[in-house]
Amino acid sequence: MSGLFSQLVTLGSSGMLLTGLIVLWRKGIPAYITAYRWQSWLLAAVTATIGYFGGDPALYWVAGLLLIVKGMAIPALLRAMQQRLGIQWKIAPYVNTETSLLIAGLLVLFAYVLARPWVMVSELPTRTGLPLAMALLFVSLFIIVSRRKAITQVIGFLMLENAIALLAAVGTYGVPLLVEIGVCLDALMAFLVMQIFVYHIHETFNTIDVDELTRLRH
Amino acid sequence: MGPEKRAIDMLTLTAVLLPPLLASGLAVLVRPYRRFVGWLGLSCAALSFLASSRLCLEAFSGEMRGQRAAGGLWQVDSLSALLALCIAFVTLLAMAVAPGLRRSDDADAVQTRRLRIFMSAFAFTMLVAVTVQNAALMWVAIEATTIASALAIPLHRTKASVEASWKYLLLCSVGIALALTGTILASFTAGETPIGQSWVALRSTPLSLHPQLLQLAFAFILVGYGTKAGLAPMHTWLPDAHSEAPSPISAMMSGVLLAVATYAIARWKAVVDASVDPTFSNALLIGFGLLSVAIGALSLVIQQHYKRMLAYSSVEHIGLVTIGLALGPLGAFAAWLHVINHAVAKSAGFLLAGRILYRYRTTEIASVSGLLHVMPWTGGLFATAVLALVGLPPFGLFVSEFLLVQAAVANHKMWLAAIVLLLLLIAFISLMGHLNRMLYGPAPDDVPTGERASWPILVLIVPVAILVLLGVALPKPFSAFIHDSVASLLQ
Repeated sequence: MSGLFSQLVTLGSSGMLLTGLIVLWRKGIPAYITAYRWQSWLLAAVTATIGYFGGDPALYWVAGLLLIVKGMAIPALLRAMQQRLGIQWKIAPYVNTETSLLIAGLLVLFAYVLARPWVMVSELPTRTGLPLAMALLFVSLFIIVSRRKAITQVIGFLMLENAIALLAAVGTYGVPLLVEIGVCLDALMAFLVMQIFVYHIHETFNTIDVDELTRLRH
Repeated sequence: MGPEKRAIDMLTLTAVLLPPLLASGLAVLVRPYRRFVGWLGLSCAALSFLASSRLCLEAFSGEMRGQRAAGGLWQVDSLSALLALCIAFVTLLAMAVAPGLRRSDDADAVQTRRLRIFMSAFAFTMLVAVTVQNAALMWVAIEATTIASALAIPLHRTKASVEASWKYLLLCSVGIALALTGTILASFTAGETPIGQSWVALRSTPLSLHPQLLQLAFAFILVGYGTKAGLAPMHTWLPDAHSEAPSPISAMMSGVLLAVATYAIARWKAVVDASVDPTFSNALLIGFGLLSVAIGALSLVIQQHYKRMLAYSSVEHIGLVTIGLALGPLGAFAAWLHVINHAVAKSAGFLLAGRILYRYRTTEIASVSGLLHVMPWTGGLFATAVLALVGLPPFGLFVSEFLLVQAAVANHKMWLAAIVLLLLLIAFISLMGHLNRMLYGPAPDDVPTGERASWPILVLIVPVAILVLLGVALPKPFSAFIHDSVASLLQ
């Protein structure tokens, strides 16, 4: 039973990391949004799995909340944003695809090194998810710094939040429900404000290329 | 310590937290903006300030100490009360000077309304962040401060302000996400203690099962909250956001928001130090702190804009505070005293800079000349605030910087004391040079001269008076109160 549990969690976490990596080689914004939606669904699935095998029914609520907020509401808002702005479809990253994937590989390795002491001391059946969550965290940070459209930075940030939620789920069987609700609402608020700002940037600069944001120096 | 006592405590805390929330809600409801909203908001800020003074008295006189061990969600200790007092004071000051109170203000009604909404909301989130005794909920509140303040920065939708607020929002959101990662990592090591525990419970439960993991968690927390605190090299958003924000928001961000983030770091440092050897956390704090002081001081040399000048001075001062936190009880005393002094001096500085900007219509130091002639009151007070910020006696920052260097020497870190003194000297020389250029010389032709002592300017005499009081004679009960704040992190 514990073997199956562990394997399911590893599968879900690997899937989440994979959606993060997909972003690095796809070039269209719709692909980014789809990857994010899949990632959020997998996060909800992992959380529900932990709730089932870990015997913590409160996690079903968390999973439901994640599914609604991150799996449905935010992707829908992202889609609306993309359509309203009529976004230039191709995104030219600062770092080309080959180099991006190479760097991502190194980041995953680094995450495994960093999470090693944890995996060694932890006795949780979910511990194999820890390095994967750390890897997704670093890959998301890399997406934020290497992609220059404001909307891709937002998606990178959303993936960073997913990574943290995964880390909390596999590391501690989830945080208390009250805290989880607070964190989830904050994430939603932060996203809504970011959305407002993407519109502001679009209005004032007539582009969402953050390369244009270079007026302030020193 | 009966249940009645607890009720009184909660009442005081409610009186601290609720007024700003009500003021914000009121400003949302009344549309278009009316001046009575501004006055009611100011009254709410005053009520919150009075209540936070009472909170300090209660925390200090020990009425709450008996309950500290229980460690409930809202059991406020001296450190929390101290920070709440600073926040409430700066908010009151900013609310009094912000546009929208007088008929002669020709500020835009839509913008004034938005400014008033966000100022109160911002104050509320900061007050919650320092009073809630729970690591995870504090995180939620600090994340909320980013949201409340980011919306207020691009009040005049200029390219520069949109750019500044985007940088601020993105960098601080990522930073705060890293702080959450650290919080979660720390709770892994806690075993039975989930992150929903109070600070006291976190400190008293040994987390030392895996020291390496706890150190990694602290590194994440320091980088995360350090981004929000403006520690170098994560400070890059700070000069942009502080210089582009409307002056009352700048005053609140620079005066107390940085202190709130530093408070979060100090709370976590106490938790980590209770379990593992503090050498590691001290080394990290001194490293980041020293880098911030260096970058802040050296950037001051090449500054061309006076609001950015004040912002870089904040980077420098927050670096000093961070160093202080790593230097034992004496250093921590110096650090919190410095936080108070900086909150008072920097908020006054930004509010006065706002008046200068309003008259001169430029933030360039080179274009502002003859300030003492054009605006005798504002110019004089601005000069006083800058003199206080460079750490000259008789102002409070001289005392806290002196104590800081003394703490470094007492910790056998002569090299640290020497470097800090050298950097302070650089900051001193460059700030004095900039100030000199602004105060004297011929006034530009298109700027009207003369200024009467109206009440907003008289309000700004209060912080200067406080700075002198803290510098000349640090009142005994006050220093005892800061000692108690330092102690509330140790027990």
